[in-house]
Amino acid sequence: MAITVKVMKRPTQEISYVRAALKGMSLTFKHMLQPSVTMQYPEEKSQDDWTISQRWRGTHRMLTDEEGRSKCVACGLCPQVCPANCIKLVAGEDENGNRYPLIYEIDEFRCVFCGYCQEVCPEEAIHVGVHYENSEYERARFVYDLERLQAQTHPVSTLWDPSDPRGE
Amino acid sequence: MSDALVTVTIDGIEVQVPRGTPLIEAAKQAGILVPHYCYHPSLPAPAVCRMCLVEVEKAPKLLPACVTTVTDGQVVHVNSDAALKARESVLEFLLINHPLDCPICDQAGECELQDYVFQEGRAATRYADYAKRFNPVEDFGPDVLYIPNRCILCTRCVRFMEAVAEDPVLNVSERGDRSYIGIFPDAVLDHEWAGNVVDLCPVGSLVSKDFLHKARAWDLDRTASICPGCSQGCNMTIDTRDNVVVRLRPRPNMDVNRHFMCDTGRQDYRWMNRGDRIEAPLIRAGDKLQAVDWASALDRLADTLRGADGKAVILASARASTESLGMTHRLLDGFELTAAVRVPTGHEAPLASIPNLALREERTPNVAGAELTGYTRAWDEALDQAVSAQVVVVLDEELAPDEFDRVRTAGTVVVLGTVDHPAYQAADIVLPIATMAEEHGSYVNRDGRAQVYRQAKASPGMARPAWWVAAEAAGRLAEGRAVPATAGDAIVMLGQSIPALAGLTYQSMGFTGRPVASAAASGVES
Repeated sequence: MAITVKVMKRPTQEISYVRAALKGMSLTFKHMLQPSVTMQYPEEKSQDDWTISQRWRGTHRMLTDEEGRSKCVACGLCPQVCPANCIKLVAGEDENGNRYPLIYEIDEFRCVFCGYCQEVCPEEAIHVGVHYENSEYERARFVYDLERLQAQTHPVSTLWDPSDPRGE
Repeated sequence: MSDALVTVTIDGIEVQVPRGTPLIEAAKQAGILVPHYCYHPSLPAPAVCRMCLVEVEKAPKLLPACVTTVTDGQVVHVNSDAALKARESVLEFLLINHPLDCPICDQAGECELQDYVFQEGRAATRYADYAKRFNPVEDFGPDVLYIPNRCILCTRCVRFMEAVAEDPVLNVSERGDRSYIGIFPDAVLDHEWAGNVVDLCPVGSLVSKDFLHKARAWDLDRTASICPGCSQGCNMTIDTRDNVVVRLRPRPNMDVNRHFMCDTGRQDYRWMNRGDRIEAPLIRAGDKLQAVDWASALDRLADTLRGADGKAVILASARASTESLGMTHRLLDGFELTAAVRVPTGHEAPLASIPNLALREERTPNVAGAELTGYTRAWDEALDQAVSAQVVVVLDEELAPDEFDRVRTAGTVVVLGTVDHPAYQAADIVLPIATMAEEHGSYVNRDGRAQVYRQAKASPGMARPAWWVAAEAAGRLAEGRAVPATAGDAIVMLGQSIPALAGLTYQSMGFTGRPVASAAASGVES
């Protein structure tokens, strides 16, 4: 049985592509003449109107005291509260008898950036940072040790404030 | 009977308690915990902390529940407004000088001050503008550190050293808000039982140097166990963190160790974390040992035993459980069997005021259990027998190199061991077994009390409890011989053939143990 194809009878003038192509190109050329709104990231970095929120929760930062030592007292609350179990902490005692972290490591791959560690910290030592450029060449580099956490310089998150829910 | 019992009503709950019981114990019976610091059931009560104040009807003032004894028809309100207000004030006074260093305090998470302040303390301080009292940390002795700032002066430690250990080296120095726990000049807190002051301290003032900063209280897994340090059989708790034993603590058992444990037992946990363990069954192939699976190893063991007859010797450790000792004995009962345990000895260190509590000379926990299951203490004679025996089984005991050289002349040497040892290269079959921290089991202490210990950590590699190894091999040796599935089954099975262990189950031993049958009848002395 032969296959029958239904051929539509369309008015050839009305379906010409020329009209549509010109219409599209006119829009294109119109935009070429307008100022660009695209930021050429990463060649171009953020401008004032592109700042990220103060409440942004990015990779961590450990704050230090005046002597440059970490504020952490190794109380163990952040590994306890961490829902992703990404903080490794081993406590020790320094020469002055103060408790401090012998090992403090955060696996940023495992981290879900909830910010609970910052919220629970009684010493205001560990913070999530307002920062988003974290790429590395090796997976192992994503486990931030204490030295790395202390060396970070980006601003720290203010987190969500219940008394100011809209961040005003 | 009714003469001796009095009825008191505590927060609406009526309880009957013996005359002379302190209110705080009567309240415990009613299921109500009266907050307290200075009171401890094993210490004399001085009523210095004022924390256990309760309202007693018809009494003019609040009374301390720890020293007030019950009288018939007494009506007590533990949680009335007046009592709550008094306790809130006591807590406020305690917090005037107590530092807010919970994040760095070892006691955090198991601190009674923390608990009660959360429960019924003030939410905010009224003394924010005043500097807190400060005293430097003091080193009290080999394992005890005193942090005076955290001290709430309950004097439990002073009373323990004075009334229980009867070695009064601690005191309350100075007066009023300057007081602190002092140690007499040139005295050292090095009593054999001094470590108990760390457990007694309700706050983090007396801390163990051994445990300092090691783990947070909430990280720990706690397992009820029995101290393997001597034949006293003190009940203890094994605290583990990530499968590593970090500390041992006493577990109350009024019939054995009350609330205490000696320092020797307390610090004897490092061997539980050893890494140099035998991890797979090894059988002889030519001139060396080859790692195999359990089925092959047990088949080889059964074949070896089937082909042998005559003399067999078991050289066991009295640290093995009753189950392991009994099952190993049963495995070889077709032979002319000599079974002995080695009993290392040390000095005896009694806790002065508690009768029948000491670090014993016999430094193994299960000598009585070994004797009940057919072992003797004649170690040297057994070693002599082993030289000419067909089969020698070494159970959980590390032989000295010269001892092992003598044993090598025997027909077959089977080692059931935990720690790898170069001398084992000369054995025919080496089977990895679990330590007491890695298995369920039971010990019989010197007073004939059978007590259960429970598994606190996972065993490394393919290590299995020794009772399982022996019972599985016995099952292969004789068709249709029942093989216990659990340690609980094993003790029941042993009870069927050993009259002294008859009727013994893990359920009946519970958490505090029970005397074995023969001990109950004749009072077995080890």
